[in-house]
Amino acid sequence: MSDLVQLLLSGVALGMIYALLAFGYSVTFSTSRTINFAQGEFLMIGALVGLTVESRFHLPYVAAALGAAVAGIGLGLLLEYGAIRRALRTGSTATWILATVALGIILRNAAERIWGTDDRPFPAPLGDTPLIVGGVRVLPQELLVILVAAVIMALLELFRRRSAYGKAVTAVAADRDAASLMGINVNAVMTLSFIISSVLAAVAGVLVAPLTLVSPTMGTLLGTKAYAVAIIGGLQSGLGGVVGGLLIGLSEQLTARYISTGFKDTPGFVLLILILLVKPSGLFGKRSIRKV
Amino acid sequence: MNGASRTGLTALALAGIALGAAACNKGGDGGSGDVIKVGVYGPFTGGSSPMGASMRDGVRLAAEEINAKGGVLGKKIQLVERDDQATNERGAQVMQDLVSNEKVAAVLGPINTGVALASYKYPMQAKIPLIINVSAGAPVNELFKDNPDNYVFRIAASDNIQAQMIVNEAVQTRGLKKVALLCDDTNYGQNGCKKMTEALAAKGITPVSVGKFKLKDTDMTPQLQEARAKGAQAVLTYGIGPELAQIANGMNKLGYQVPMIASWTASMSNFIDAAAANGNGVQMPQTFIQDAALRPEAKAFVQNFQKKYSVDRIPSAVSAAQGYDSMHLLAMAMAQAGTTDGPKVKAALENLTTPYSGAIATFTKPYTPTDHEAIHQEQVVMGVVHDGRVAGSLPAPTPGRAVPSLSDTAAPAATAPAAAKKP
Repeated sequence: MSDLVQLLLSGVALGMIYALLAFGYSVTFSTSRTINFAQGEFLMIGALVGLTVESRFHLPYVAAALGAAVAGIGLGLLLEYGAIRRALRTGSTATWILATVALGIILRNAAERIWGTDDRPFPAPLGDTPLIVGGVRVLPQELLVILVAAVIMALLELFRRRSAYGKAVTAVAADRDAASLMGINVNAVMTLSFIISSVLAAVAGVLVAPLTLVSPTMGTLLGTKAYAVAIIGGLQSGLGGVVGGLLIGLSEQLTARYISTGFKDTPGFVLLILILLVKPSGLFGKRSIRKV
Repeated sequence: MNGASRTGLTALALAGIALGAAACNKGGDGGSGDVIKVGVYGPFTGGSSPMGASMRDGVRLAAEEINAKGGVLGKKIQLVERDDQATNERGAQVMQDLVSNEKVAAVLGPINTGVALASYKYPMQAKIPLIINVSAGAPVNELFKDNPDNYVFRIAASDNIQAQMIVNEAVQTRGLKKVALLCDDTNYGQNGCKKMTEALAAKGITPVSVGKFKLKDTDMTPQLQEARAKGAQAVLTYGIGPELAQIANGMNKLGYQVPMIASWTASMSNFIDAAAANGNGVQMPQTFIQDAALRPEAKAFVQNFQKKYSVDRIPSAVSAAQGYDSMHLLAMAMAQAGTTDGPKVKAALENLTTPYSGAIATFTKPYTPTDHEAIHQEQVVMGVVHDGRVAGSLPAPTPGRAVPSLSDTAAPAATAPAAAKKP
């Protein structure tokens, strides 16, 4: 029994990491209808900047997270101005896809030049000694990931639903030109959404770093998985990302334990294909109607 | 094998090679001009990079020493380095580039088994020697079957040796009967898994669980739970540094305190650093242990390496030493052959007349026309990770003692590591 609880806990921790990244996808998708394919690399930059702040300048973990957040703001601006805005002006889908993929490659190579290619440990702020509750052993960092991710996503969802910004996002998503005529600064809304999404990824990097290891390639797989999670949950829904993340995280752990470690990723991607066939907008997605 | 028949065989091989060289004069262009080009390929980026970069640095150190003494055949060694990024396709590409465009005289490397599998056929076709200096899983002597004119050599502990030693450590030394295997899903990990299963089967043991993990996997809870549920008394693993560290960390998290015995890669800096205290006590087969370097040549190698690259702990000392020795062996073979012509260098490698005292050991006739493995179980010991370093003891050097050929390895092999284990 305690084995199962143990497994579920690590599945939830894994799922929340995916959810955090998927949430970032949904924030920008709802305003610009674009996906940032460099999201995994943003997470990696956040982790590496955090590691530098913590180890080079000997500052506490919170400072590392703040450092990552600042890096996230910079990355968000770079992405929006450098890749997305121009691409959207041309009206071609291929342009923003390629631009974000290219940005990801550039960031990964830059990180290899700056930080080297090695996998490095990130000291856990609450230590590496597992907490033992009723036979279940859990690392403090796993609990921190679950807790912080849940709080961040809840706050952002509240912000999206209740604030003027949230209303502006809905308006921009519905009709960019009309929103602009209604006095909404469309560009500002888009920029803000990219900053939020990038900060989210960068802070997620610092959050997961003590559990994973820090290296320039750490974000690639996470970014891909989170993309699948976002599709399963529905790109427009924040809640969808959380549910999708938990589904994938738990299915990975349970399959690895009870079926075979070789089939770990299979159920998640089978689910992805099924969802694409049956409900292409995702579990929680609203059907998008595009008027031509 | 007695002396007369060996000489006869060599002569036969030489005749064959001469014929081959006459028919196909592609190999050995690397000697033209006033430098000798030697290709070096390995992963200088990614999770395998401590091995790749250390191997390259070892080769560079050796090339520098050779050039400082006037080079080989009056020419300087020029290294042509290529990053294969530990991916099989890229490995094949860079090898083609080295062989066809750069026209190197010989190639040293690579690290990853998959890369070696994808690339060894190009030097084989071009008839230039490839000395594999890290990859443990690549076929070497196995290639003789389809390629009697085999240009692939190795100076590294093969998976056969490592798997056997890992299993011996668990079953013989520790007397454990229930073991779990945990290997990554690359060619390297799966090959190691197969070899360990075979070594266990020879002792009448079936592993209680066989787990798999992917590169960059960060949570090993399910695999370790299964091993524990099946009552495994030891976890035998095959993988590279970062993921092995995740296993050690996962065992600590689950409070699963059984011995972890790993492939040699657990001596990599990225395992030792990422596992930190959880890595203490992890054992792995080693050809070279920096802190246990006793022979003067080994000590000098460590000191020169530390000085040249301003490091205290070599990121992967095994790779560095093997890289260093591979370059020196190649240079000796070229000097003996009197040319950089591929077939002649290969023949010289198979019949080195002077012993070579390198970082790993003193090699007397490391290769023969039928055995292209320089490392035998005798030169390999079990090292153990302790407080951020690799500890262990290498067997005392026996100068002048010939490295046994394949036929007579079995007898001394079983005793040497065991003796080193229990001082």
